[in-house]
Amino acid sequence: MNTGPYSDEKVQKYIAEEFIPVKSQCLWDKRSELMKQFDIAWTPTLLVHDSTGKEHHRIVGFVPVNDFLAHLKLGKAKSFFNRFRFADALDNFTTVIEQHPDAGAVPEAIFFQGVAHYWKSHDPKGLRWAHDTLAARFPQSEWARRAQPYKQIPL
Amino acid sequence: MTEIKWEKDFQKAVELAGKTNKPLFQDFWFDG
Repeated sequence: MNTGPYSDEKVQKYIAEEFIPVKSQCLWDKRSELMKQFDIAWTPTLLVHDSTGKEHHRIVGFVPVNDFLAHLKLGKAKSFFNRFRFADALDNFTTVIEQHPDAGAVPEAIFFQGVAHYWKSHDPKGLRWAHDTLAARFPQSEWARRAQPYKQIPL
Repeated sequence: MTEIKWEKDFQKAVELAGKTNKPLFQDFWFDG
């Protein structure tokens, strides 16, 4: 049965189409090997792995539907980014930013979109774009501070 | 409505992900 964010049709469709979904039960008095392997210390803990089972993104605690979907897409984008598949990463970071503009995952998606753009094109303007976008839209975020060094890059 | 078909065996899910080239989404949950 689908409960919580899984009762939302968009979530159901996205997970069913884009992922192999797996549920792992946690028992605190008898921690499973998977709980130990992935250092699970609170629930819900949601992991996005690549197709080899390597973790690329982690969400701990309840997140509402819009944030949840943005995290799923961010996780997918990061699984491409971390494996140097920058064109696929860019597509997925863009999806997070455009489809979930108010979600908490967006500042991180903007930062990595800039970095992925740099890796793909070797043009540092992508980094400057990330700085400018974060400074304008999310000036209080840690990601805006992380992008601070890119302020010096000429346009 | 789309019913999510959850896999319970992680290793089996990884094998399936490898065959389909899809990422895995894993939910660690507690029924308390």
